[in-house]
Amino acid sequence: MRVLTTDLLDLFITRLANTWEVRLPILLPDGTRVIGSPDDGTPALHGGTVLSKPTAAFFPQQETLFTATKGEFQEPQAPDRLLFVLGFTPRDLACLRFIDRFFADGWRDNIYFRQRRNAVVAGLSGYSGPGGSLLPPAGGNCDLELFWDGTLWLAIPYSDSGIKIIAELPDTAPESAMELFRQATLTPPDENENLIKRASELLRADRVPDSFWAEIGDRCIACTGCNLACPTCTCFGVQDWRSATTVERSRMWDSCQLDGFMREASGHNPLGTEALRTRRRIHHKLAADPEKWGEISCFVCGRCDSVCPTGIGILAVTREMVARFE
Amino acid sequence: MFYLVSDKGRVVGVEPSTTHPVSRGGLCVKGWNAFGFVHHPDRLTTPLIRRDGELQPASWDEALNLVVEKLRNVQERHGADAVMFASSAKATNEENYLLMKLARAVFGTNNIDHCARLCHSSTVTGLAETFGSGAMTNSISCIDQTDVIFVIGSNTTEQHPLIGSRILNAVRNGTSLIVADNRRIRLARHAELHLRHTNGSDVALLLGMMHVIIRDGLADHDFITTRTENFAALAAAVADWTPERAAVATGLEAVEITTAAHLYAGAECAMIFYSMGITQHSHGVDNVRCIADLAMLTGNVGRPGTGVNPLRGQNNVQGGCDMGALPDLYSGYQKVSDPQQRQKFARAWGIEELPTTPGLPLTRAMNAASVGLLHGMFIMGENPMLSDPDQGHARTTLENLDLLVVQDIFLTETAALADIVLPAACYAEKDGTFTNTERRIQRLRKTVEPPGEACADWQIICDIAERAGYQGMRYSSPAEVMDEIATLTPIYGGIAYDRLDTHGLQWPCPDRSHPGTPLLHVERFTRGLGHFSPVIHRLSAELPDDEYPLVLTTGRTYFHWHTGSMTRRTHLLDREEPRSFIELHPDDAARLEVRDRDMLLVSSRRGNVQTEARVTTMVIPGVVFMPFHFAEGAANALTNNVLDPESSIPEFKVCAVRVEKLP
Ligand code: SF4
Ligand code: SF4
Repeated sequence: MRVLTTDLLDLFITRLANTWEVRLPILLPDGTRVIGSPDDGTPALHGGTVLSKPTAAFFPQQETLFTATKGEFQEPQAPDRLLFVLGFTPRDLACLRFIDRFFADGWRDNIYFRQRRNAVVAGLSGYSGPGGSLLPPAGGNCDLELFWDGTLWLAIPYSDSGIKIIAELPDTAPESAMELFRQATLTPPDENENLIKRASELLRADRVPDSFWAEIGDRCIACTGCNLACPTCTCFGVQDWRSATTVERSRMWDSCQLDGFMREASGHNPLGTEALRTRRRIHHKLAADPEKWGEISCFVCGRCDSVCPTGIGILAVTREMVARFE
Repeated sequence: MFYLVSDKGRVVGVEPSTTHPVSRGGLCVKGWNAFGFVHHPDRLTTPLIRRDGELQPASWDEALNLVVEKLRNVQERHGADAVMFASSAKATNEENYLLMKLARAVFGTNNIDHCARLCHSSTVTGLAETFGSGAMTNSISCIDQTDVIFVIGSNTTEQHPLIGSRILNAVRNGTSLIVADNRRIRLARHAELHLRHTNGSDVALLLGMMHVIIRDGLADHDFITTRTENFAALAAAVADWTPERAAVATGLEAVEITTAAHLYAGAECAMIFYSMGITQHSHGVDNVRCIADLAMLTGNVGRPGTGVNPLRGQNNVQGGCDMGALPDLYSGYQKVSDPQQRQKFARAWGIEELPTTPGLPLTRAMNAASVGLLHGMFIMGENPMLSDPDQGHARTTLENLDLLVVQDIFLTETAALADIVLPAACYAEKDGTFTNTERRIQRLRKTVEPPGEACADWQIICDIAERAGYQGMRYSSPAEVMDEIATLTPIYGGIAYDRLDTHGLQWPCPDRSHPGTPLLHVERFTRGLGHFSPVIHRLSAELPDDEYPLVLTTGRTYFHWHTGSMTRRTHLLDREEPRSFIELHPDDAARLEVRDRDMLLVSSRRGNVQTEARVTTMVIPGVVFMPFHFAEGAANALTNNVLDPESSIPEFKVCAVRVEKLP
């Protein structure tokens, strides 16, 4: 276990940037934290979950799949430099593990792995959450993890590249910090995680009536934010841009809260109301994914609740669901 | 409100600001997709000049010299006022200011206007007369502090989704909602009271409500005495408007009108929100006057959680007005007809004399051109072919011009008719400021380079000025333009880029130490005393008859923006709403033997279009609704080019049509 002091942070990032294409939480002029490159703003590692999901480094909102010009077919090149992405909270790392598995399954999504393969994933945990609250350590799921003990970052490697990257840092982790870290690893699951589990059971037991979804769906303005912000949402749409000589095919994040997502060519839509679509969004994560993958695909990162303008993110909805139907 | 994510010179996504007081971490679907058209292959990348009937690529030198030469030529032959400049509510404040400066200082005409003419000119006129300032009186955050929200003529969750969401949240927290709009919009489903009055009867509804408020002793007499004038005239004008009479005129029950009046006037704090359903009538200004009267009558102005709140639709339509892209006003609503103001601007711009008579509103300019009284148009970022009423009239007018110059990012339906097309940079490719609906001046930051030879509007305008022999438009950046705006525009006096970094500032902001103004008319109205402005109920210009038995009202859909030049090129948005449609009530559908998704022929006295049926109880029997975004099935092929006599806004909201099923 190594140590990264605040003084060393800038230098550490500058050094990393010599080798890697670095992405990390940065501060924008209005106080928004996003995952960006070190040139775009000052590092902002404290504050917990960043609204822009770090998984977007591997699966961006829009990306080119190929370009076809007469007699020529071009796929985007693998990046010149590998990505180093810092800023995954422990929950984000669980999301990343989930989508890694999803994109690798069956047809294996080469476009995703073009960015993801050999990229370095770095987590943030410790007392670096909002207002100094504790983010329990991930203890894996990444190449290295930075754990804030209140005065410095402990750097914990989990892979060879993680070990290599932190090799130059001083290795004198104070015993007090080590003790904090050990204790933090024992943190029990929080209330929200239990809530999601209980809601999942309700849904799987079919105990949530349609009238509930009608009521919730009536508040959905179809902004798509809940899907686009969610690190485990992987649905995308495909478009072709044609000019006289070229076709460029790209994909972009799509949303099951949109009517067109399931609309049939006839114009009929089996999910033609907000109620059905909202049910589907939550049902998918809490009931369908557990069947397919053996686990709930919501890791309670809180993003959908942050972006939903009308307060029907997954936590708000499951809280209401559990209160009413359990 | 949001940041763009870029990668190797391309915009690849959007991230909401988490700290912004309006968006608060959220965005609407158009916001989340705002990057989608930026690199579209249809972007204009080079100037085009019409040669042998076809638009052909040209150099900037050729194109801009030709623009100047031809504008001058038209002016030499027909006078300075034979050309019209149309500015854009999508362009920045700096660009709007510069285009109005170009029109006035360089080409010597006050013929400058922009599409606020089509959306909120009634507000500018109506609220200037009653309050002295034609802008939203309160801030969006006031929604959290109010007891009653009265939404009239605004489909807020679709057209201003974040404001609509905030209203929905307020309702969940106990705020009462009254919706007056005969479409069953989402807000109506959450309203305590939904008034489905007939199209064009807003004045009758509001007069009826005011009658009840005075009759039942709910007027705020302290406020009326200390803060307003001309109350007696208002009281006289509403005296006959019993709820029973208003019920007949509106198609409502008298008790609905009484309930609405009691609910609104009984609240400690009540806010009114309105939009195009109020303004786009041949009596749009009267509608606005009634709203202002209603608010003053109940003392709902000048306090948090109250106010008259016109919702501005485009990103910078407030700014377009503020910057004086208007035929009678300089920036900051300073009058062209006032010799002192004229002199101030002339001196600052280094011009001997500025034109004295107010210019033509855009809609009247189109009419003037159609009868050969106007010969050249310079249109920046507007698409009148789809946005103006009576498309047939718009087309022949534009085709008959001696000179049509269009500066845009795509070859719009209007640009396709132009003699010269100038390729502009889009919002992601330039710096500047926009002013939102709550008067908040905010920074726009360049993220990527424009495609090909496309160039920012402000640079093109300055280049034209230079070629026209004017040296007073040399700026190194938009920040410098803003500095000039600040010196000439008292309400923007304290605006400078270094002050806008976080969340901008709300005008009036008269000096550099001023924190901005979230609430207008606090201790006094901008004009001094609030002026009650009584009106007479007038019917819409074209009512249904045997030949054209249905009322057509037009508007927008959630997924598209205006004439769709950007949103129809954004994959997800166009997928959601791919084609023109018409909403009609199941009763009308049954009578016409029409089923959902049947193709229909819709005709009015102006023209006809084919469009798809959407059978729904969103509309009331006898009324049909069409969005105007679509070039194929264009609603504005049908609408009536009749204008409000004061604001010159067209009556987009009411005309008579006939619907037939296509074989
Ligand atoms: S909390 Fe919301 S955004 Fe986060 S993983 Fe769960 S569903 Fe997705
Ligand atoms: S974030 Fe909320 S309003 Fe937006 S699509 Fe999701 S549920 Fe609907």
